[in-house]
Amino acid sequence: MIFSLAFRNLARNFRRTLAMVLTIGIGTGALLVFKGFNLGIMNQYRDNTIHARYGHGQINMKGYHNSVYEKPWKHWIEDYNSLKKELESVKGVKYLFPRVSFFSLLTNGEMNISGRGQGINGVNESKFFHTLNIVEGKNLSDEKEGILLGKGLARALNAKIGDRITVLGTTVYGSMNAVDTYVTGVFHTGSKEFDDSVFRIQLDLAHLLLDTKKVESVSLGMKGLGLWKNIEDFVADYKVNLESIPFPILDKVYYQHSVDWLDAQFGVIQIIILVIVVLGIFNTVSTAILERRQEVGNLRANGESSFEVLKLFSNEGFLVGVFGALFGIVLVYTINISFLKDGILMPPAPGLTRQFHVKIELQEWMAVQTFIIGVVTSSVATFLASLRVINQKISDLLRSV
Amino acid sequence: MDSIFSVKDLKFSYSFGSINIEALQGVSMSFEKGKFYCLSGPSGSGKTTFLNLLGLIEDVQDGDIEFQGKKFKSLTEKEKNYIRRNQIGFIFQHFNLFPVLSAEENIEFFLVRQGVPKSERKQLVEKALKDVGLWDQRNKRPLEMSGGQRQRVAVARALTKRPLVIIGDEPTASLDQKTGKEIVNLLKNLSDEYGASIILSSHDTMVHEFAEELVILKDGRLSS
Repeated sequence: MIFSLAFRNLARNFRRTLAMVLTIGIGTGALLVFKGFNLGIMNQYRDNTIHARYGHGQINMKGYHNSVYEKPWKHWIEDYNSLKKELESVKGVKYLFPRVSFFSLLTNGEMNISGRGQGINGVNESKFFHTLNIVEGKNLSDEKEGILLGKGLARALNAKIGDRITVLGTTVYGSMNAVDTYVTGVFHTGSKEFDDSVFRIQLDLAHLLLDTKKVESVSLGMKGLGLWKNIEDFVADYKVNLESIPFPILDKVYYQHSVDWLDAQFGVIQIIILVIVVLGIFNTVSTAILERRQEVGNLRANGESSFEVLKLFSNEGFLVGVFGALFGIVLVYTINISFLKDGILMPPAPGLTRQFHVKIELQEWMAVQTFIIGVVTSSVATFLASLRVINQKISDLLRSV
Repeated sequence: MDSIFSVKDLKFSYSFGSINIEALQGVSMSFEKGKFYCLSGPSGSGKTTFLNLLGLIEDVQDGDIEFQGKKFKSLTEKEKNYIRRNQIGFIFQHFNLFPVLSAEENIEFFLVRQGVPKSERKQLVEKALKDVGLWDQRNKRPLEMSGGQRQRVAVARALTKRPLVIIGDEPTASLDQKTGKEIVNLLKNLSDEYGASIILSSHDTMVHEFAEELVILKDGRLSS
């Protein structure tokens, strides 16, 4: 009956109850939207990281990633073909991207600029790395002699699409060598150091330039996010001493730090929203309870303890929390499948020149979590507001009008 | 006759900053079981304070009250709640019914809190509503009833608790003379049937006529 009384008390002042439900609903909805937006940003950023440069991770010789060598090719993977054959049989592997990197000199006949070359499998990489920010021309694909230049490098060489560029380098045996290329495209990652020095050519062409068949690393495109464990297991059992590095570690500075930063920011905003909701509810409930002091006095005079009266008000707070949180969640889901169906248009992210849409990615666990937060917040605010009244003397409560 | 309350040298004062008002200045008396008492006296004579102390609504400051062999000063909060819930029934000037509950539910509410089983509760509520003549109004909420009807519900609610004593502070003050008389008459008859003592405060001479003993307070003291 206490619960029934609490329920009916809510209907007693419809406008006030509505204000409380809306406060909780908007607070809960704001939390849910923010969680969904945060996840949307994270997922977008993760996809961008995976599909722009790193894939789901890479394999190289053990210790190579964190070391600097005078002759790095001595620490490259010798027999890529057997590794490839075995990697292709690992569950979840979709693409393999063997790569080499090297220092070289780029010349267009008028000027010479030093750069860092990457030899890649253009056909495979263009299928998977579709978010690489190409600002001119197109991504390197099946053009055997094509070269993709970083924006700063292209500007320094004054290179246009189709211009001839000669890549001068040293073979792994120490002799000079050169290959001719033509510009297929220009990319821009936003990292000045990267855009000013990096260019990409076909792996075969790089092998020709370096006079080797070794590969420095193998990046991987997986069928799903949770499948990287299969690669770790494979590498652990492989005959050659390799190491596997997932993309969050490869892109620790940008990706992982951004994720950590956004998480911390979310924590702070969540606290701010909760404080606003608690204050809003506290204020509304305080007024409501002050008007019911005589009723509290009646309850106390008839033997209800302070705790039992507190329970009555907490039940009301709980019910408001349930209605408010449900309202907020339903509202957010409705808006998300109608007005925000295509996501929110965002300005270009760091390293990108194009706008992008972030979807509010709502998940069941988020709805459950925000529902609990909404209900608990409402109950706590009501509890705090009730404390002021229930501690008054019964005679004072009965005297109040 | 056994006494229900035994009051000894009861004193009570209110402090408003530096001002101290002595509401009761050494009241001693006994209230006998089953008797109808009416406290009378001018405004500020200490009637409400005396009732509040008897009903455990105010804490005893000086002197003591013995109720069923228990001294109020020595009671724990839990014991006080038990007495308020089971042994004392209240009737207030402004009825103090729950506006969101029907007449029937208002009466049933405190029975639920007393832990009375549902089947017994239903019988008690039905009897009480029939006793006060409101059985056909049982589904109405207080705001749909007249003042007299509301006070009848309050009487029924106080009596169904099966208290040893009913305490009422000016229960007829918000009612017209005719309705007030009906209410007091009803209360007297039913308290005889239910075996409860009655202690009311009232200025009204009509109420005084019903009382078996009139207790007059003046400036916080009993007046002879």
